[in-house]
This record gives sequence, structure tokens and C-alpha cells, in this order.
Amino acid sequence: MTEPVLRVAALEKRYSEAGPAAIADVTFDVLEHELLAIVGPSGGGKTTLLRLLCGLMRPTSGSIHLDGRLVSSPPREAAVVFQDYSRSLFPWLNVYRNVMFPLRTVGAPRSEKSARVATVLAEVGLEDAGRKYPWQLSGGMQQRVAIARALVSRPEILLLDEPFASVDALTRTELQDLVLRLYDHEEHGVTIIHVTHDIDEAVYLADRVLVLSGRPGRIVGSVGVPLPRPRHQTATRSSPQFLSLRNELHGVIASLQE
Amino acid sequence: MRQVNVAGWLFVVVVTLLVEAGVRVFGYESSIAPPSSTWRALVEELWSGSLSGKVGATLDAYLQGLAIAIVIGVAAGLLIGSSRTLLAASSVVLEFLRPIPAVALIPLAIVFFGPFGIAANRFVVAFAAVWPILVNTVYGVRGGDRMLHDVARTSGVGSTGRLLRVTLPAALPNIAAGLRVSATIALLVCVTAEFRTGAGGIGAYMERQHFAHRIPELYAGVVLVTLLGFGVNVLLRTVQRHALFWAGEERATQ
Amino acid sequence: MTPSGARRLTEPVLGVLVFLVVLGIWELWAGAADSFLVPTASEVAERVWHVWPTSDFLSQVGQSLKRYAVGFALATAIGIGLGLVVGTSHAARRTLEPILELLRAVPAIAIVPAAIIVLGPGDASRITVITFGLCFPILVNTAEGVQAISPEVRDTASMLHVGRVERMVHIYLPAALPSIMAGLRIAVSLGLVLVVVSEFVGEQNGIGYYLVVQQSEFDYPALYAGILFLGLLGYGLNRLFLVVERRVLAWHYGATGD
Repeated sequence: MTEPVLRVAALEKRYSEAGPAAIADVTFDVLEHELLAIVGPSGGGKTTLLRLLCGLMRPTSGSIHLDGRLVSSPPREAAVVFQDYSRSLFPWLNVYRNVMFPLRTVGAPRSEKSARVATVLAEVGLEDAGRKYPWQLSGGMQQRVAIARALVSRPEILLLDEPFASVDALTRTELQDLVLRLYDHEEHGVTIIHVTHDIDEAVYLADRVLVLSGRPGRIVGSVGVPLPRPRHQTATRSSPQFLSLRNELHGVIASLQE
Repeated sequence: MRQVNVAGWLFVVVVTLLVEAGVRVFGYESSIAPPSSTWRALVEELWSGSLSGKVGATLDAYLQGLAIAIVIGVAAGLLIGSSRTLLAASSVVLEFLRPIPAVALIPLAIVFFGPFGIAANRFVVAFAAVWPILVNTVYGVRGGDRMLHDVARTSGVGSTGRLLRVTLPAALPNIAAGLRVSATIALLVCVTAEFRTGAGGIGAYMERQHFAHRIPELYAGVVLVTLLGFGVNVLLRTVQRHALFWAGEERATQ
Repeated sequence: MTPSGARRLTEPVLGVLVFLVVLGIWELWAGAADSFLVPTASEVAERVWHVWPTSDFLSQVGQSLKRYAVGFALATAIGIGLGLVVGTSHAARRTLEPILELLRAVPAIAIVPAAIIVLGPGDASRITVITFGLCFPILVNTAEGVQAISPEVRDTASMLHVGRVERMVHIYLPAALPSIMAGLRIAVSLGLVLVVVSEFVGEQNGIGYYLVVQQSEFDYPALYAGILFLGLLGYGLNRLFLVVERRVLAWHYGATGD
């Protein structure tokens, strides 16, 4: 039994002293190389939780430990993919430069860094897009660039904040499978936290699904997903186990809204 | 009620004190008026009436020129903006006149109107101020919500009526933004014109003080004109906020 | 040909036609009125032909342009530098806001006598006036551009551990570039105004001084020609700037679909 890579304990966040808490009493662990999905309705605190996990915000109380170290500012081992790719990629840089950006302070020879960028672009299926600018690519491709940029520095933990909410349904399935491929790829061994409002997506991707809901947001459910890997859009999604898991999650959320 | 920016105004005070100290300590009084002398000169001149008359003269030329610019700018803007043909026809002439710096016309204005009286100043102010208003009116008219126009057309209102009662109000936020720019430019141009024509006003006052090498009085003029400009801007912003509360604050097109 | 295609051909022609008609009317009316205050277009043209190519005139223009260029460069450096600071630091903005608003309201002509007293009647005082006047539109636009940067870009910068100075130069500056260019565009026209204003007093050279001389020597055709020259210079500088802007902001036009 390995130590969890991420420990979240009694996390609470208030935006103003007298105001209500956005999330409260959030406690969970994440194991190494686990794919954890966090679902919940809008306004339930998912984004707040993610920003706290990234170190972009400090909690009002409680703690987050990554690899045993307290997270108080963005940790080097973590990388983020935001929902709005058009606003997180740098429009004045081409794809190659965007993906290279996290490596600029790394003291390795240029050829090595170049090779790394090429590798990671190939992994997301964009080997020929290096010279293009983000706006020349479709939404799905831009999000792939964002994912490539997140992976280029070999993070220990990858956080995705509703990354597929802004793309069309067909692209969404492609990107979901991309995430699964990257996750299964042994070279990375990366831990993934995937925030989404789409329950089906959560069950399809994850090893475990946490439900964050209520005001203030609390962990109201934790459902393990023992579905076998590799997963397939048609086979997995139509399996009875898949259906019962998603129904279970729907039930958890529905019961809260009464 | 807006919060007063204590830190910022404190900084202004600190800088003023530093300038005062610096000028006195390093002995620059003969070329830079320390704030205290400037203040004294300002108060004395205003009290004795020599400056207050100048303020009136400046405001005269300024407001008259601005008024002319508004009338011409809005009228022409409405007409040009609502007719593609007029826009095309006037575009070359206007693009030709627009880049001419208004201050370059000061010598010309002196030629036409003579160096006495505020006519020359008024002309130059009007020329300078008309462009932002004209451009923004055209922009406001052309950018207008098509739906508003269609509603007006089907409501049986004649085209003049439409122009005045739908197009004009709809373009007001843009016109207001252009007016703010014009008001600022107009004051600068007015004072510059006065400086050259020597005809009444703060600009002329500054020129005379400069010529007579009366430095505190010169600086007093500078402070006065700055406060005037500052005040005009604040006034316009407040008026715009209250009168056009139904529209968001527009940025002026340059 | 489509109606809009036809319009695209006839519209500029119409504009030029109207312009020529106006020119013709001026020529006839001025000729008939025979007032020395209003020279005919041909008289002005004659001055243009004989004066503009002379080395005397050109050297005056050259002196003005030299001061313009230096003032513009200095104002760009100061304006962008300060603008980045004000844009990124709330504290700096609050502290500097009132004094900048006050200084911004000082008309250039008011600075001219004071500058001449302190720096003498030559280039130094004139460049000071130009620099002072041009700082503000550039500063304001830079600060606004920085403040408009999307939260996703800021968060990405935090996540990628970009140091403060590096952030300003490599992220905030390019991101704010569209706004900065808008400020520079204003400065291009404003600069010409300031050049003329600064030459009303002091040393006897420059295109502004030239206008004054023509007026006092009653050479009105030359005066008109001088004004015409300034108009053309302004037009030319603006178009030149547009070319530069198009290249610098190529990525932006693509991204925003302009």
C-alpha cells in the first residue's frame, strides 16, 4: 500500500470573512497513478477546489499535501489544463513555442528540449502543427496543445478543469480517449484529477469518482469505478456495470437537490 | 460614493514637498518656481482679478468653439453616417483635412481673423474639436443596432424623424465619448492658440509672464490651466454617467 | 458584378471626384475673389513645387523629425515601462493614479516656456515637451492592456512558475501589445502636434517655426503649402504606422478574426 500522492484534509475556503464558505470539510486522498474524477453541479465548488489543489489559491483552513509537502503556491510537480483553451494558450506564440514555454528554465540542451516537444506533440496527435498559431487550429486541437503543454515538463499530477466543456460532442469523445491513452501510457505514470460536470465522462475515464455538491460544497459521495481498462466508447459505455455506476451517481446528485 | 484615494493624494503631497525642498536646496528658484511661490502667485493673481478675467476669456473661446464643433460634428456625422453615398463622397476630403494638426492652423487663423479678439482661437478650437465628435457620431450611427432602425422604419416615422428620434439617441454614447476627447483636445488647442495670438485668456497670460520672466506667475498659469482641464474632464464624466446611465461607457474611436 | 462589388469600385472614385470638385471650386472662387488671404490652389502648388524640394525646407523638416523620433522613442520606453508597472501592481496604480491624472492634464504649451527656461531654447527642451506629452496615451493604454489580460493567462503564468520580471516582459507585454499599439497610434498623430507646439517658442528652426515665419512674412501661399505638408506628413506617418502594426500584430488579427 503506497502513500497517497495527494492528501487533502478538512479543506475549507471562504472568499470573505463574513461570507459563506464555498467549500467546507473536504477530505480525500489520491493514490499514485490514479485517475480521479470530481463531479458536481455548477456553483458547487469544483473550480474552487481545483484552484486550491493547484496552489493558485490558499485555503481558509485545512491543508493539501503533495508528496508529503504542503501546497501553498503552485507546485512544480503539478500541471493544469483549463476549460477555456483560447484564453490560456499564448496567442502570440506558435504551437511549438507554446508547448516549449514550460521548458524555458530547464537547463537541458536545446536539441533535447526540442525532441521532447516533438514527442509530446506526437502523443496528442499534433506532430505537424508546430508552426501553426493556436487560432489557426480547431477548438479540439487547441485543447490538445494545452494538454501537450501541461505534459511536456513530465508533471507528477495533472489537473483538468472541465477541459472538454467547450468543445463539441464528437471532439469530446476523441479528447476523452486521448486522456485515457496518455494515462495508460507507461512512460508518464501520471496521476490525473479530472473535474467535470458530465457524469458519463467521469465514469468512463476514472478509477474513482468524487461527488462535490451543496452549499457549501462537500464531498457527498465517493464511488469506485472497477471497470476494466482499456476502455472503449461503445463497449464500456454500454456495459451494465457502467450504467449502474452512472445511475448510482445520478442518484446521489439528485437526492441532494431535493 | 467613491472612496477617496488616500495613498494617491498623499503621494501627490509628498512629491510637491520634495519638489519644494529640492528647488530651494539646490538653488533653482531662478528657473523653477517652487510650489509655495507658485501658490502665492496663483492666489495673488486670482485675488487681484488679473487671472480670473483670463479664465473667463479662455472659457469663452473654448466653449464657443466647442459648441460650433458639436453642432457641425453631430449634424454632419448624422448625415454622413446614415448615407453610404455621402460617406463615400466625403471620405477623401475628410481624410485629407483630418491629419492636419489644429495648432498648425493657428498662423492661418491669425491671418484670417487677425491677432486680436478670440475669433482666431475660436476657429482653431472648433477645427480641433470637430473631428473626434464627427468620427464618433458616424461610428455611432453606423454601428447602430439594425433592429432599432427596422422598428423605427415600420413604425411609420419619416426619415428625418427617424434620424432625430432613433439614430441620434442610439448614437449618443459614442457621441459622448467623442465629446470627452474633443473637450480635452479643445482646451489644449485653445490655450496654445492664445499663447500665439496673445488675445486674452490663460495662454496669452502665460506668454506674457514668460516674456517678462516672471516665473512663479508663469507656473501659476500652468497650474490654473491644468486644474481647469482636470475639472472639465471630471465634470463630463459625471454628466455622462448620470445622463446616459442607460448605456455602458463607450470607448471613443480615435 | 454584385452590388457590393460595384460599390467597392465606385465609392473611392466618388470620393476622389468630390475632392477634385471641391479643389476646383476653391480655385475658381479664390481666383475670382483675388484676395491675398486666400491663394488659389495653383499658387499654393507653385510654392509646393519650389519650396518643398529646397534643402532649407528639408533641413527644417529633418530637425523636426529628429526631435519627433527621439521624443517618440523616449516616450515609448517610459510609457510602456511605467504602464507595465501600473498595470501589474494594484498598489502602484493607486499611488500613482492621482499624480498621473494631474500631470496628464497639463497642456503641452504650458510646459514649453518652463522647459525652455530650465533647458534652454534648443533641442533638449523640445524633446522634453514631446516626450512628456506622448508618455500618457502610451502609459494608459499599456496599463489597460495589462489589466485586460485574461485570468487564464495569469493562472498559466503562475502555474509555469514565471518570475515577476520575466512575466512582465514575456507574457504581459505581448499580451498587452494590441492595446499598446493603439496607444502608439494615438502618439503618432499627437507627436506631430507636439512638435509644432514646441516650435512656436524658442530656437528658430523646425517645421512649426517655418509656419510662424510664413505667417509673419505674409507669404500666405507658402503658409498654406506648409500646412498641406504637415497634413501629408501626418497622413504618411499614420499609414507607415499601420504597416508596422499589421506586422507586429499579425497574430492578433488572426486570433480575433479582424
